[in-house]
Amino acid sequence: MQASRKSLKPLPYILIFPTAAFVALFTAWPVLLSIYQSFFRQRMNIAKFREPTFVGLGNYVDLFTDPYFIEVIKNTLAYILGTVPISIILGFLFALLVNRKVRGIGFFRLAFFHPMVLPMVSAATIWLFFFTPDYGLFNSTLRLLGYTGPENWTGNPNLALLSVVIVAIWKNSGYYMVFYLAGLQNLPIDVYEAAALDGANGWQTLWRITFPLLRRTTLFITIIAFIDSFRTVDHIFVLTSGGPSRSSTVLLFELWLERFEYQDIGASAAITVIFVIILLAFTVTNFITSDRREA
Amino acid sequence: MKKKMLYKIFAVVLVLGLLLGACAPAPAEEPVQEEAAPVEEEAPVEDTAEEEEEAVMEPVTFQVFYPVAVDAPIAAILNGYIEDFQAEYPYITVEPVFSGGYGDVQTAIQTTIDGGGEPPALGVMLATALYDLINADYIAPMDGYVAGMEDGDAYVADFLPAFLANSYYDDQLWSIPFQRSAVVMYYNTDMFAAAGLESPTSWQSWAEAAQALTVQEGDATNWGLQFPSGWPYWLFQPLAIGNGQNILNDDCTVVFDDPAVIEAVQFYNDLSAVYGAMPAGVQSAWPTAATDFASGSTAMVVHTSGSLTGILAQAEFEVGVMAMPGKEAGTSASVPGGGNFYIMKGAPQEKQDAAWKFVEFISQPEYVADYSINTGYIANRASAYETEAMLAYVADVPQALATRDALQFAGAELTTQNLGQVRGIFHDYIQRAFNGEMTPADAMAAAQVEADAALADFCP
Repeated sequence: MQASRKSLKPLPYILIFPTAAFVALFTAWPVLLSIYQSFFRQRMNIAKFREPTFVGLGNYVDLFTDPYFIEVIKNTLAYILGTVPISIILGFLFALLVNRKVRGIGFFRLAFFHPMVLPMVSAATIWLFFFTPDYGLFNSTLRLLGYTGPENWTGNPNLALLSVVIVAIWKNSGYYMVFYLAGLQNLPIDVYEAAALDGANGWQTLWRITFPLLRRTTLFITIIAFIDSFRTVDHIFVLTSGGPSRSSTVLLFELWLERFEYQDIGASAAITVIFVIILLAFTVTNFITSDRREA
Repeated sequence: MKKKMLYKIFAVVLVLGLLLGACAPAPAEEPVQEEAAPVEEEAPVEDTAEEEEEAVMEPVTFQVFYPVAVDAPIAAILNGYIEDFQAEYPYITVEPVFSGGYGDVQTAIQTTIDGGGEPPALGVMLATALYDLINADYIAPMDGYVAGMEDGDAYVADFLPAFLANSYYDDQLWSIPFQRSAVVMYYNTDMFAAAGLESPTSWQSWAEAAQALTVQEGDATNWGLQFPSGWPYWLFQPLAIGNGQNILNDDCTVVFDDPAVIEAVQFYNDLSAVYGAMPAGVQSAWPTAATDFASGSTAMVVHTSGSLTGILAQAEFEVGVMAMPGKEAGTSASVPGGGNFYIMKGAPQEKQDAAWKFVEFISQPEYVADYSINTGYIANRASAYETEAMLAYVADVPQALATRDALQFAGAELTTQNLGQVRGIFHDYIQRAFNGEMTPADAMAAAQVEADAALADFCP
């Protein structure tokens, strides 16, 4: 007994203790609390519901039978499908573009990267002016390209979600570019030399060598992009306030509405749990599949 | 080397910042301080009371959470007032905490209270937050303090009545008006004169003027009117009021499906569909609408009185300000907005008491006038308009009086139980009507049904 205890080295545990304590306190505990709260009906702005009453899965049933919440889920999916793949592809293309030794390349790298440095709220405010009908930069440019459709981007129910997607892509692609750029610069040169000797053309080199070699980078960026698309809502506040008629309301925005606008603690806890489940499922899947590939 | 340089730049910026911070409040204090002193003196308190006050001069520090919602150096102005206040009450220290927008202040206070912490004694939150704050048991009534004043009734009666409309519940006073505004219509008098038009007096003449002033310029349109509707209830309300029916009766009854309200929605749509005088559908660009007007590319804009200072600073033409025209000739309408002072129940009593002293101090006419002049908010007390500073300002900027005068036509701002949800429902459907997804009648009928359901739990 004593012997086995002695063999337990305390140092590693001491070293991870601060992190573990942090995670427990600021991640695990709030999640557990949310799970608990999601089984209760509690609304701060109704005197009789201020004290929580147990309703079992009532909050979840309410949410999933509410056509409006289903709409929010659809919006969220559309937002993710709209932002994640395109900003990753653009990030990759940008990285290919600026991964060369040309004088002044730093300027172009900066140009692609700078949206990331801006706070989302400032970026959205700038875009609010770009989106202005008539003279807004975005609309003027589109008109030059022959666009004749509606220009009221943030006020049109069919375009509002698209407009927040556009801002997110603009904001994120430069960020993903940096990861790809780092990946590209770490690629072994000999492989390319061998390919050149074998007479591979540019497309083959890109598709058969560069892209597969960057697989891990792509995986990493996909995770980040996916999580990002769930947690950025700042620009929605500025651009559309979730409207018009809630057409650009996504899950996190809805969570904010339920908790702070409607003061519905039970429903907001339930949405938090749904949120955590989705992110956890995604992360675990990724973890497992990437592990298998390593093996 | 580079690092050193960076540090140097940083240090310079820091010093500049400090200097600016130190200088900025000075001009704001000056005019007020002289006049503020006699007010305190003029209250000749009985000896016993004064002794009592001195006896309880335990040092007390309280926080005030405030938002910045207009384009003005609110922080510097408030710091100036706080210095004056602390000079008069040396035992009280006020810690101003800038907390973002109105929503952020309320969120910060809610999360503090829900997390078991001590809330700030004082908060500036939307006047319309009243019921949510009462129901959540966050705020304390102020009647006791008013009763304890030399002449409490006169103090309260001096506030412009429209601004007190959202302060009472259950016959108790829950908030004191602070930074208040109103919906007004700005119009370019130069354009009106050039087109030989009078300022509008009815829906009809308003729409016709907007139509006449809409000009196509190449690809772009210079609109006769912009009427933002991205967060529509507030600017829309004067349309309904101007047609004789506000969208609410009391905290439990909303009136969305009344024919007069539906007609107001229809009129909004007609302004673009029939008259071609403003952009079609939901107009979500609140900030650009004001700058478009100030730059002269839009002849009229419906906006907050809070934009007056910014518009006047930018505009190179004579800016007209008026209440929104009502439907019938000669009628007008407006609706108040903005934030009030609330005292938080969860703060220790002595902090609440100190907070009240600050509220009382800052609502002296000289301060109310100074705040209005420096921020563009409407001075919220009748007596503020008698002060020298305000008289001088109004002589210079007569539009400031027009914003106050718009308030005589004001109805109550949408304030109900369960406000967030009710307002969300209204926004949802009125925007569907604006965007042509539903007819005004269908949209308002559906909004009524949903809002009634959302209110059912609150209103037995």
